Amino acid sequence: MQQLKIVITGSFAAGKTQFINSISDIETVSTDVATTLDEEKEVKAQTTVALDFGTIAINEHVTLYLFGTPGQERFDYMWEHLAMGCLGYIVMVDSCRPAKFPETRNLMDRFAKITDAPFLVAANKQDDPAALPPAYVRRRLSLPPHIPVLPCIATDRVNVKAILLTLLERITSSLPDEETEAEQG
Amino acid sequence: MALEGTLHDMSLSDIFQVFRMGPKSGVLILTREVDRGVIYVSEGRLIDAFIVQGPERTVMAASDEAVLQMLNWDSADFIFRHEIATDRRPVRVEHDAEWLVLEGMRRRADPVRSMPYHSITLDTELQLAALPSSAESGVSLDVDQWRVLSQVASSQNLRAICEATGIPSERAIRIAAELLAIGLVEIAPPSQPPTPPTRPDRSDLERASPAKSLEVTLTNAGVPSAGNRRPSVGRGLMNAIMRRVRDL
Repeated sequence: MQQLKIVITGSFAAGKTQFINSISDIETVSTDVATTLDEEKEVKAQTTVALDFGTIAINEHVTLYLFGTPGQERFDYMWEHLAMGCLGYIVMVDSCRPAKFPETRNLMDRFAKITDAPFLVAANKQDDPAALPPAYVRRRLSLPPHIPVLPCIATDRVNVKAILLTLLERITSSLPDEETEAEQG
Repeated sequence: MALEGTLHDMSLSDIFQVFRMGPKSGVLILTREVDRGVIYVSEGRLIDAFIVQGPERTVMAASDEAVLQMLNWDSADFIFRHEIATDRRPVRVEHDAEWLVLEGMRRRADPVRSMPYHSITLDTELQLAALPSSAESGVSLDVDQWRVLSQVASSQNLRAICEATGIPSERAIRIAAELLAIGLVEIAPPSQPPTPPTRPDRSDLERASPAKSLEVTLTNAGVPSAGNRRPSVGRGLMNAIMRRVRDL
């Protein structure tokens, strides 16, 4: 059985677990516990401390795993384990909490040091009319034009599918040309 | 749900730009100690504003003056809620947001402080902002602002703009902050590719990490053999994965 991995990362309460829930074949296996810090309790009652994952069975030989990273920086030792060997990753951003932008930027810098896998940014909570537009999210995260920043509603399966497909297309286009490889081989 | 934060997370001038990008309608409330500022927004335009103080809610300022005073606040909590009903409120703010922001910047001793998350130095690279097609503004720039703006596209950084225009560096930094605040320029993202990843030594990670017990088969999914950072997959397999996801 071949196991392939895509990582869903982002700051605390960015919507990672919901994103995986929306697309996974199985009910997301989660290691959520009650939040302990007061400021986190205000945002959500439970948080992912280790990881959560969902699966998409591609065929009888291949399964695609979707791994969500723990949101809080104090669990960032998990990021290396999760990012190693991933096909690509999605950075979730809460479009209603600009306070999280510096943390997200740090997280992206850390991931860039761990893996050169293709990635994109999902500006979540776009179903809120007050949400910051993706163009502003791009500006605040100092993202160059070739990195997609996509509007995201993590509760909307169709939207989540579209975002995942965009990442898969980026991964495919980053693969070396097979004919060239064969010639060189 | 709402857009929430502090002015350290997002400046009032940035919030106004986002209103215009939407365009958004709703109520913005700023809270600073005993002061409470309220701004009503209709389709991206500021239409009414006031500042009240204390439990009696004494009105301290209204309309344009209230916005100008709020632009001078360095710290406050804010919350913006979408509310379509604001469209029915009478318009009491005379000037548009860009004019008010620019006027607010003129009143500040140090305009750069109004955007604490932007660091503007002579090495800062600027680029012209992509304005929404509906953008219209009654703002009028002074001669030096125009000179800086006209050099943005052709100069590598603010230092080069100073050399090309002869504008002193301190003044150029102030002008850059003003143009940034009204959304005419942006700080260019870094053009260099990220540092190539350095693959962490797995044995080091296992020794150092309290999460060793979580190093189970599932977290190892897709981990390639030593020396490879990404698993080896062909286009055929990727196409199969995309077909499967499309069919979900």
